[in-house]
Amino acid sequence: MTTTQGTSAKAAGGASRLLRYLVMPVFLGVVCLALYLYVSTQQLDSIERRILTADFLFARVIEHIQLAVVSTLIVVVLAVTTGILLTRPGTRRVTPFIIGLANIGQAVPSIGLLVLFAIVWDFGFWPAIVALVAYSFLSILRNTMVGLQQVDRSTIEAARGMGMTKMAVLFRIELPLAVPIILAGIRTALIINVGTATLAAFVDAGGLGTVIDRGIRLGRDSVLIVGSVLTGVLALSIDWLAGVAEDILRPKGL
Amino acid sequence: MIRLENLSKVFPGQDEPAVDDLSMDIYEGEIVVLVGPSGCGKTTTMKMINRLIEPSSGRIFLQGEDVTRVNSDNLRRRIGYVIQQIGLFPHMTIADNIATVPKMLGWDKERTSGRIDELLETVGIDRSYRDRYPKELSGGQRQRIGVARAMAADPPVLLMDEPFGAIDPITRDRLQDEFLRLQREIKKTIVFVTHDIDEAVKMGDRIAILKQQSKIAQYDTPENILTDPADDFVRNFIGTGASIKRLSLSRISEIETTDWPVARLSDSHDEVREKMRSSGRDHVLVLDEQEKPGRWVGKDEVKYDTPLEESGRPAVAVVEATASLYKTLDTMITSYKGSAIVVDEEGRYKGVVDFDTVLEATSAMHSSEREETAQDLQTEGGGR
Repeated sequence: MTTTQGTSAKAAGGASRLLRYLVMPVFLGVVCLALYLYVSTQQLDSIERRILTADFLFARVIEHIQLAVVSTLIVVVLAVTTGILLTRPGTRRVTPFIIGLANIGQAVPSIGLLVLFAIVWDFGFWPAIVALVAYSFLSILRNTMVGLQQVDRSTIEAARGMGMTKMAVLFRIELPLAVPIILAGIRTALIINVGTATLAAFVDAGGLGTVIDRGIRLGRDSVLIVGSVLTGVLALSIDWLAGVAEDILRPKGL
Repeated sequence: MIRLENLSKVFPGQDEPAVDDLSMDIYEGEIVVLVGPSGCGKTTTMKMINRLIEPSSGRIFLQGEDVTRVNSDNLRRRIGYVIQQIGLFPHMTIADNIATVPKMLGWDKERTSGRIDELLETVGIDRSYRDRYPKELSGGQRQRIGVARAMAADPPVLLMDEPFGAIDPITRDRLQDEFLRLQREIKKTIVFVTHDIDEAVKMGDRIAILKQQSKIAQYDTPENILTDPADDFVRNFIGTGASIKRLSLSRISEIETTDWPVARLSDSHDEVREKMRSSGRDHVLVLDEQEKPGRWVGKDEVKYDTPLEESGRPAVAVVEATASLYKTLDTMITSYKGSAIVVDEEGRYKGVVDFDTVLEATSAMHSSEREETAQDLQTEGGGR
């Protein structure tokens, strides 16, 4: 009885999830189509024609994805490791200090952080990456710590009581059980980075921000609209991908 | 089997030791229950045996080997561990949960898999549960898996910290019975922690009643603790009703059943009447073809126009021979005529007990114990 209910509930959940998965791509496809139709009905002058080419836009999208993905990968490695270290016994004293530092990273306005790094270091890709890492560090750090702390103490005690080493408990029990919360943090960080990467154009790091910037500076509305809409579409696509990844990577049985 | 020598534990930042100079021997194949008020250090004591808590001083011997300084992870793989919250790994299947220790010990897949099937059968859970996750199980089933997981690598010793504490009373009673039946087969050395004296009496071959700082107030068999508490602390801890609790220690099979006239459904009405007359009783118990108790039939209820299977009233107050006197008395009180029918495991009739038989048996037990105690006092020179 319970099993049939369980399976049918699961099947229903699967069907509704599939529907949910389909809604976003269809919506984004419609938006892109509308954008294309809008641009093709416009009378474009030479400046607009130079910017609104597939090659130019595609290169900016790639730059944008590179900024977001590279910064997120770096911040995942750094923040998850820090989160693990800060939840071990013996690091209690440094925890408030590190959290405070991460807080500063997020509290400073992102454009300020980007420009600051550009001034003291250099313009270009890597300074922008460092700024993005500093900006999104806290969300993953906090989620990693909360994720590890919410693991039931009795589960850990049972594992230790059966003779698992501390390392085995961390990698086989604690981290898998913290995965859903850590993934949520990574998704947040990714979204923050996709959004903030738009500002990287101001420090010469490319991305879709360049298109928006040109649209404003040259006073071409069509360019401005294309840049803005593409940024939105990219952000939503990446968020959608992250959501799917979250569902797939979540351990079964939770 | 396990020997604790002058074991003490002082937690950092505390003046008073949580466990103070505890020495005790735990014998092979026995269930030893550590029981005491909360905060008496019983759990700390148990966790020092597998060194989840490292003792501040003293030594621990397991099977004659000093394990106070050996690698604690390896030590724990030799000792089964069951806790109240069970602590199943929610992200692993039942099979993977049970396979935890065998995997660490490097068993091959075939051996582990065979062992999982064997254990599931032992704890009475269907093999189809192998690939389910803990959240799909009921509390009682999880507890069984917890026990199976602890026994996976067949450790000689099991530590159990209030294993049935978080389960509803009815399921708890059943799990306790199941576990005792299992223990009769596996004969592990078990250290069992509880705060419930009734559970201690039921489960323990030996009970250690602990005071603050794990000082042993009395370490003895349940019978001796109930009949002869060492001091006021033990007496208070047992509480009222020690005699009633004693009844749960004796099995109905240990006392003699009353002779009672028995008839069969195949007997004629005259034969039934004759049996009743010759025995001098006013009731006869009628058994069916499988020797199972069918009906109580009274003197005036044997009528030629009523078949035997419809005469009298159904025999309902039935207990198995392995039932405790406590349960038997309980059954009797609610029964017709104040007697209970004893049957064997297959439900076949073995005899009848009534209040008088139970009373006689218990008073006989008391007087024989009083003599034993008197002898003990003489031989030990009056000291205990």
